[in-house]
Amino acid sequence: MSTPVLETENLVKVYGRGPAQFHALKGLTFEIHRGESVAIVGKSGSGKSTLMHLLALLDEPTSGVVALDGRPVSKLKPKTVSALRNETFGFVFQQFFLNPNQTVLENVTLPLKIGGVSKSERDKRGMDALEQLEMADKAKNKATDLSGGQKQRVCIARALINNPEVLFADEPTGNLDSATSETVEDILLNLQRNHGITLVVVTHDEDLASKCQRRLIMQDGEIVEEQTGVRASSSHKAPVTAGHGAPESRRRRRILPFGKGAAR
Amino acid sequence: MKSLDVTKSALSNTLRSKLRTALTVIAIVIGAFTLTLTSGLGAGINQTVDRIFGGFGEDDAIYVVPQVEADAQEQDGPAEYDPDAGAEMDSGFGTGMLSASDVETIEGLDYVVGVDTEVAAQIEYVEAPDGTQYQAQFDFALNDVLAEFAAGGAPDRTAMEITIPEDWLEIYGADDPDDVLGETLIVAAPNAVGQTSDIEAEVVGVTQGTLAGVGFTPIPSVALAEEVADINAEGFEGQMPEAYIMAAAEIENLEQNEEAVKEALAEEGLWGLTVEDQIAMFEAVIDAITWILSGFALIALLAASFGIVNTLLMSVQERTREIGLMKALGMSRAKVFSLFSMEAVMIGIMGSVVGVGLGLATGFITDGFLTAEDGPLGGFAELSVFGVDPLAIGGIFLLIIIIAFLAGTLPAARAAKKDPIEALRYE
Ligand SMILES: Nc1ncnc2c1ncn2[C@@H]1O[C@H](COP(=O)(O)OP(=O)(O)OP(=O)(O)O)[C@@H](O)[C@H]1O
Ligand SMILES: [Mg+2]
Repeated sequence: MSTPVLETENLVKVYGRGPAQFHALKGLTFEIHRGESVAIVGKSGSGKSTLMHLLALLDEPTSGVVALDGRPVSKLKPKTVSALRNETFGFVFQQFFLNPNQTVLENVTLPLKIGGVSKSERDKRGMDALEQLEMADKAKNKATDLSGGQKQRVCIARALINNPEVLFADEPTGNLDSATSETVEDILLNLQRNHGITLVVVTHDEDLASKCQRRLIMQDGEIVEEQTGVRASSSHKAPVTAGHGAPESRRRRRILPFGKGAAR
Repeated sequence: MKSLDVTKSALSNTLRSKLRTALTVIAIVIGAFTLTLTSGLGAGINQTVDRIFGGFGEDDAIYVVPQVEADAQEQDGPAEYDPDAGAEMDSGFGTGMLSASDVETIEGLDYVVGVDTEVAAQIEYVEAPDGTQYQAQFDFALNDVLAEFAAGGAPDRTAMEITIPEDWLEIYGADDPDDVLGETLIVAAPNAVGQTSDIEAEVVGVTQGTLAGVGFTPIPSVALAEEVADINAEGFEGQMPEAYIMAAAEIENLEQNEEAVKEALAEEGLWGLTVEDQIAMFEAVIDAITWILSGFALIALLAASFGIVNTLLMSVQERTREIGLMKALGMSRAKVFSLFSMEAVMIGIMGSVVGVGLGLATGFITDGFLTAEDGPLGGFAELSVFGVDPLAIGGIFLLIIIIAFLAGTLPAARAAKKDPIEALRYE
């Protein structure tokens, strides 16, 4: 098996201090391999986003180790970590986070601008990425003029622009209707399959989770189950909410009825 | 992120909320405007002084007055009476006058080739050829070198000659200053018992008033002033001590021997000043006034800097998410800091460009109006109350940019400190 691109050891995250302390992650150890697609699923508040932020080096664990390509990152300088994020990772955030006052192209090329790439090069690569997502004709539009699905595609284009090794997506379909979700899922998985990008996705979406090669099921800050293998469709889905609870058998698009996406 | 991109982004960010930026910029504009005007005022007057006195390079005299006793002011209570000191009638000490022996001392110094003295000359009135009498007072004869002439020139120090100020032309019914040259002015000098004697003096020059206060009254020749002083002394009971207001010591090779002569004078309790020294003193006063006025402008700028802090803090708060996103996408703290301080600098640049521009325009227009021939300050020769000192203008730009940068550091540090996760969670 290939070397893990990301691995964790006894990862703990505690929020707050004293009596208000909250153990969001309670000692997680796992690996994510190069080119793999991994879904992190679980109830709202189970610690999925917290975990993703630690993996993406956006936050530091209270204790435990995150290693990138076998090297522990906890001892890296903030500047190196920033550069790593800029060059190695791509991010798709749940709430888009597009700058409303900038054009689509400017939004997409922001990581390159931060990385210090020249304007002409930025625009060329930005247009390529937008073309890949069939959004080239909207390049000059303001980001606010787009529909939800279009915005998410712009976000994906932005995540791809620096040819990342790892693409992190926090509920990439959380804001989208089912048809658009399908498109976005296909785009993400295509990228993983055809471009060898490692995909780490946090999701409530059963469809998306089932299309990933591996699923880490979280509950109260712990990984309670790990499932491998792509599932053909939601019809014979595994009891992803399993753990200690009873297997879910009702047919639902959403894995969790109380999930963020469902609540919206 | 490249510096060029930081600058561009900063500029477009400041233009995002135009009204807010404009209001902040206005505060800076007011400071920059005021500072430009005050420094321009100082520069204008100093340039005038330089221009007027620039031509006196050939003047090789040191002007001597008694040294001001510095400790006189520090004394506690009145000095005790000393009969011996008081008896020395010849001494000009303490009267602010030079005594005859002082003049002798000056004459005896090295490098001194000649001494002209300024006597106190009291006149009753002057009389025009048509018999009309005018109230008048003499300027110092030795001020002739500082005068600015509309026509003619300085009186010959040994002849009975005089100059008149420009506004005296009317007593001869003349419009053109050249027309009065060669005319006669009768000077009536009183003696100790109140009788007056007439002296005829030839008008050889027409003066324009200068900022140094020279040329607003008739300047007599040295000989004329002495003649008047002699008449003043007539009928005085007892021996009138010879006293001089000032002495002009002509120095051989002034540039080289200036310091030596001044030191020698200081040892004798005398104070020597060249024309240049006098200009420097005058300019020091102008500079001091300029600095005081500029102080007010600086206060305005200080207030404006808080406007920048306020605006940028608001901006940082509003853009929390954007900052979080940029940090998440790999922008370093230092770059976030520089992006926001650059915004502050942009506000500073906009404010200073507009403020300095407006200040220069206002300064020149006002100057043109005030010093026009018939303007309120038209009577001063070659006066301009506004000038451009490129160094000062550059200094104003630099100062404002530094102030703006400093004002931006607090908000910029806030932005740089933001945690990307919290920023992205921020609703
Ligand atoms: N900054 C914080 N301070 C205190 N508690 C926090 C903080 N951030 C997260 N938590 C808590 O940690 C737990 C895990 O949060 P996290 O955002 O990882 O949940 P999640 O699994 O992503 O949920 P969701 O599906 O709703 O996004 C939650 O109970 C949350 O309240
Ligand atoms: Mg979450």
